[in-house]
Amino acid sequence: MGIVIAVISGKGGVGKTTTTANIGLGIAQNDKKCVVVDFDIGQRNLDMLLGLENRVVYDMVHVMDENIGIKQALIKSKMSPNLSFLAASQTKDKSVLDSDKIAKLIDELKQEFDFVILDAPAGIESGYEHTIEFADKAIVVVNPEVSSIRDSDRAIGILDSKSKRVKDGQEVDKFLIINRIDAKMVQSGEMLSSEDILEILSIPLIGKIPEDKGIIDASNQGKPIILDKNSKAGQAYKRVASRVCGEKIDFVDVESVNSGFMQKIKGMFS
Amino acid sequence: MFPWFGKKKSAKTAKDRLTIAIMSDRSNDSFPFLDELKAEIIEVVKKYVGVKKVDIQKETLDGVEALSIDVELEKS
Repeated sequence: MGIVIAVISGKGGVGKTTTTANIGLGIAQNDKKCVVVDFDIGQRNLDMLLGLENRVVYDMVHVMDENIGIKQALIKSKMSPNLSFLAASQTKDKSVLDSDKIAKLIDELKQEFDFVILDAPAGIESGYEHTIEFADKAIVVVNPEVSSIRDSDRAIGILDSKSKRVKDGQEVDKFLIINRIDAKMVQSGEMLSSEDILEILSIPLIGKIPEDKGIIDASNQGKPIILDKNSKAGQAYKRVASRVCGEKIDFVDVESVNSGFMQKIKGMFS
Repeated sequence: MFPWFGKKKSAKTAKDRLTIAIMSDRSNDSFPFLDELKAEIIEVVKKYVGVKKVDIQKETLDGVEALSIDVELEKS
């Protein structure tokens, strides 16, 4: 049975969908069967980031409501044979989501895949509770910025009270990704450091992603930045994906301006 | 200490403000299953004795979280 991971955030626009696309592809590159599901009904975006927008025929709502088989709706990515994608509905409104139908859908996906990654709507939106309901784990994406961090704490609060796992007396493990870190700003004291954020939110870290202009270029082309071996953000996402797959990988300092060279020197003496 | 010697480092300000804002958000969010819990406690206690009302508070004392449950009984 596969593991269901919801990628969540408090507010929108922090890089949740970018994170889902990159982690999904990264997991697939680690030889695990992975499906990424866009749960952001009405704001379909994951298809664009994966370059699959022209191949969507059936979406999640077709599968849940119109007897379309899951295999017909799943789209295989050309970037990795292990990666599949299920689209969000663009037309119907969020009220179509129904717990029993979602449970059935997720159950089918868990049979087929090692990892089921759900791209959640922002924590303040109505579809959010449905996305987290059947999650085994959650990846919380924040930016080093007050509104994102505050809202993410509320989204975590909802997760901790509304998910099925919690209602059954278990816990949903949560892991933090700090996205869009600007090393120069952290060094000059104008941006919260990862230590600060971890102290405030008190959930374990799974990734620190540096700000990277290449992200826009990657989304322009529909090719996740993890494919760019020279990109700092791409390398950071690769490490996150490996950690999700259970590998122990040391955290790289992306908050020092001289990271890279200095890091290597430090590494030689430690 | 001497703010006129340069801009105060705003990350520190952000951390202080966030810590307080999140603490206050968390305490305002009541216990998640409060209503269900209340209803169930009333059902259980009612089997044995009349219940007037149930009051539940989430408290933190010396870092230990606790639920304080007050059950007010009906006058017999």
